Amino acid sequence: MKKAILFITLAMLVATMIGAQTINVLFWDDAYPRTLMTRIPEFEKATGIKVNFEILQPPQVFTKTSIAVGKDKSDYDLVCVDEGNIPLFAPLFLPYDQWVPGKVFKKVDPKTVTPAMLDVAQWDGKLIGLPINGNLYVWMTRKDLIENPKYKAEFKAQYGYELGVPKTFKEMLDMGTYFNKNGIASGFGPFNGGPAGVFGEAIFMWESYGTHFIEWVNGKPTLVVDKAKGVEGMEYYKKLMAISPKGSETMAHVERQAAFCTDPKGVLDMFIWPAQIASYEDPDKSLVAGKIVYSAPPAGPNGTFAMRGAWAVNIPTASKNKEAAAEFVYWWASKEIASWLVEQNTVPARTDALSDPKYAKSKPWLAAIADSMKFASARPRFNEVAQVQDIVKKYWIMGITGQMPTSDAMQKIMDETAAVLKKAGY
Amino acid sequence: MKKRTRKILIDIAVAITAFVVLVMELYPIGITVLNGFRRDIVILSGQPFKLSQLTLRSYQMVLKNVGFIVGMKNSIIIGLLSTGISLFIGALASYGIARFRFRWRNGLAYSFLVFRMLPQISLVIALYLMFSFLGIRDTIGGLTLAYTSFNVPYVIWLLLPFFTAVDRAYEEAAMVDGCTRGGVFFKIFLPLVAPGLVVAAVFAFLNSWNEFLYALILTGVKAKTAPIAINGLIGGETLTWGQVCAAGTIMLLPVFAFTIGMQKFLVRGITAGGVKG
Amino acid sequence: MNQKNEYKGRAREKAPFLFLAPALLVVFAVLLFPIFFSLIVSGFNWPLSEGAGTRHFVGLGNYIGLTQDPEFWNSLKLQLGFIFIAIPVELLLGFAAALLLNRDFFGARVVRSLLLLPVFFLPILSGLTWRFMLQPRYGPLNNLLLKLGAPEITWLGNPITAYLAMIAQDVWRMWPFMFMMLYAGLTAIPAELIEAAEIDGAGFWRKLRTVTVPLLTPTIMTAVLLRIIDALRIFSEVYVMTEGGPGSATLLFSLYTNRQAFGYQKVGMASAMAIFLLVLSIIFAVTLVRRNMSLDVLEEKAGNR
Repeated sequence: MKKAILFITLAMLVATMIGAQTINVLFWDDAYPRTLMTRIPEFEKATGIKVNFEILQPPQVFTKTSIAVGKDKSDYDLVCVDEGNIPLFAPLFLPYDQWVPGKVFKKVDPKTVTPAMLDVAQWDGKLIGLPINGNLYVWMTRKDLIENPKYKAEFKAQYGYELGVPKTFKEMLDMGTYFNKNGIASGFGPFNGGPAGVFGEAIFMWESYGTHFIEWVNGKPTLVVDKAKGVEGMEYYKKLMAISPKGSETMAHVERQAAFCTDPKGVLDMFIWPAQIASYEDPDKSLVAGKIVYSAPPAGPNGTFAMRGAWAVNIPTASKNKEAAAEFVYWWASKEIASWLVEQNTVPARTDALSDPKYAKSKPWLAAIADSMKFASARPRFNEVAQVQDIVKKYWIMGITGQMPTSDAMQKIMDETAAVLKKAGY
Repeated sequence: MKKRTRKILIDIAVAITAFVVLVMELYPIGITVLNGFRRDIVILSGQPFKLSQLTLRSYQMVLKNVGFIVGMKNSIIIGLLSTGISLFIGALASYGIARFRFRWRNGLAYSFLVFRMLPQISLVIALYLMFSFLGIRDTIGGLTLAYTSFNVPYVIWLLLPFFTAVDRAYEEAAMVDGCTRGGVFFKIFLPLVAPGLVVAAVFAFLNSWNEFLYALILTGVKAKTAPIAINGLIGGETLTWGQVCAAGTIMLLPVFAFTIGMQKFLVRGITAGGVKG
Repeated sequence: MNQKNEYKGRAREKAPFLFLAPALLVVFAVLLFPIFFSLIVSGFNWPLSEGAGTRHFVGLGNYIGLTQDPEFWNSLKLQLGFIFIAIPVELLLGFAAALLLNRDFFGARVVRSLLLLPVFFLPILSGLTWRFMLQPRYGPLNNLLLKLGAPEITWLGNPITAYLAMIAQDVWRMWPFMFMMLYAGLTAIPAELIEAAEIDGAGFWRKLRTVTVPLLTPTIMTAVLLRIIDALRIFSEVYVMTEGGPGSATLLFSLYTNRQAFGYQKVGMASAMAIFLLVLSIIFAVTLVRRNMSLDVLEEKAGNR
């Protein structure tokens, strides 16, 4: 009790010192920021800092950040940045080691961030923000389908091994084919929506088959992909497309959710971004809530790879309210709030909150995320990545849907990507 | 067949055809309105419609959403303001161009046209810089000004065919009677072109109501409009269909009301009769 | 009273400043800087974000880059195809409906107002709804088409059907606009002219040809002009329906401009595209519009000489 009174008095004292400050925050639209928003009034009361926030779709967050954050002037005091866009904005952000120690909330130690996520906000050897969510590929498999005795027996009879969570690409294809062929469920849920996401799937396949796509060599992004292995990856995905639901050529997140959660037949397995798990496990929105097993992705010939797609929070150097903005981050990434966020089925980036045993049982995805983190892999990052993503999306989809032979599609990807890199001066 | 019976039969045939056309045309809208009353899980499952699916939950959530309410309010204010201003200024300018044979009349008309043809993308960044500099970013006045800049040329050109169609005889007669140019414009001319004004008002309002890009870049928290707020209801990567449909339906109401109200000015044959007898 | 009464011949009058001033002031004040900005920036390599490096002058580099970019020409072709297919269809439907509903039957006013709802529908929602309707399995339109015997294709995944779907969406949304313009135009036709033709024994088609269409021509041309201007800027609907895909099958000029500016951060290129479109529009205005729609022509057609 005494501690509480002391804390409140201290907080009020500090609040008056800070004064009635206001910060402008730009969030991306996701269950995670939306959940956080419900507790912002608490932060405002504890610190006397008013939070004006805008919440927009990721492409619009990118646009507004580009326009509104400059070297000398910034409309926002805190922006959320998708990891792929960090290189572009890095020169405009305040490096983390220059953030003030917090007044009401203690400055968050970067070591509390899950190691696999820390890289998200690092560029040019510096940490320029704080990674704020632990978003990387996690695999979902329908528990009710793989535990069904009839299917188990039939599958064992046909394929010679036990039905279960697919651990390799071969198992993924076999099991998916079995369910799809017998009309029980679709065998796989691809992603063929936005360019960044398709790029992620492509990199996932290419890495799993043993080739990088673009690497930084001698300070320049260089095309290093091995064509033969690239084609192998494409060919495998093409087989997966054949066992996917109708309309999978244009499946974006909404359609995937519709197929997995609201189609009575459903889908056997597919990758999911943990950020979306809350909707998949909501009985109000999903027919399969509680029937999902989470794991790290299946392993291809070259091993397991879990694509990362996380967000970081950054303070523009041009902001006039850097201290107040930092305070907000320290509150957001504190153990108390992070633990609460985990409880609400979202996924922050704090190791201690994610690995807290008290949530392990009711939130099976946490163990899977921890497992995936061991195999975290990222998409290449460089300024012209948007153009390359469009090229990859265009020909990858043509290749996997059979509109173009996979060898030609891969060649097109390589040629046009090389042209973009050359034009950019690399 | 008697003329009157023929007329009644034609009327009935027309009414039926009109009804069929209407039903076909409103099908997508009907789906949206309906989906506002169903749960997401039902909408995406492909089930046929059953009365038991109806629920008010999406509407409740939308109406509780402060961002949406603020957005609707701002959209209505900005819509009415920019429509009123654009209609007034545009009608004046259109009259000036239609009725006065001054030397650069055509050139002026075309430059307004060309202003309207500029893609918004290329304008919005400059507008952002201008507005930031002037401090009118994220204000209702600022966005109204931006909307007026594309509504005025639109209104001018939309009104031209209606204005040039009016017989000059009415204005000549009024001026002979001692009326000023301005008086003629407001008291004689405008009532004659009511249908054109109605169309111009409805579509100027619509242009402001549905506009997205300027609203996105030029506003922030305070002057946010309804399309931006609906964007927020899309729910990120996991679409919340029910709420989007409910909000979309709500957004149709003000425009619809505006149009029904304006329709009473779309009266036929105003230019019939008159001076030339 | 001076020469204001002289309407015959090429009388020059004083420009009516009071009528024109407010419009001139508002439009020029707001748009002059943006136009110059676009023009100047089109000669620069101008990344949207200041973090992407310096902005430097490249002269005609962007324009040359555009002419060498196959996507640019593809997007132009797609945009023009879209305009030349969608707008005539919208005009025909709107005209037919205006003629049909140009009478007072029970519920006429309500029908006319309801018919406009698609035009009022938020573009993003229109795009999302059409995307939803065309999805296999749960899309109502998809299921309807299947019942009518259509093959089972992913409508938005096939380049041709995706393009047609995009056009269908626009026709669906905008033909009521044509309807309203033409209907308002019809109400402005003096009843005595129609009656005079009827007394002369003209049937429906004769009346149409000799009285209605000539008098409606200015309205028709203005409606088409306004639609073309807006069709050149179409964005949200197409973006949420197909994002320009599959491949680049629906990557219209307006979408590609948007992609250059906001996707690739290349404001210089996007400005060059905008200026290119502007020049095209000016040529269009000066040739076609001047010939068919100049103010003198409009007045002549309205019978006001």
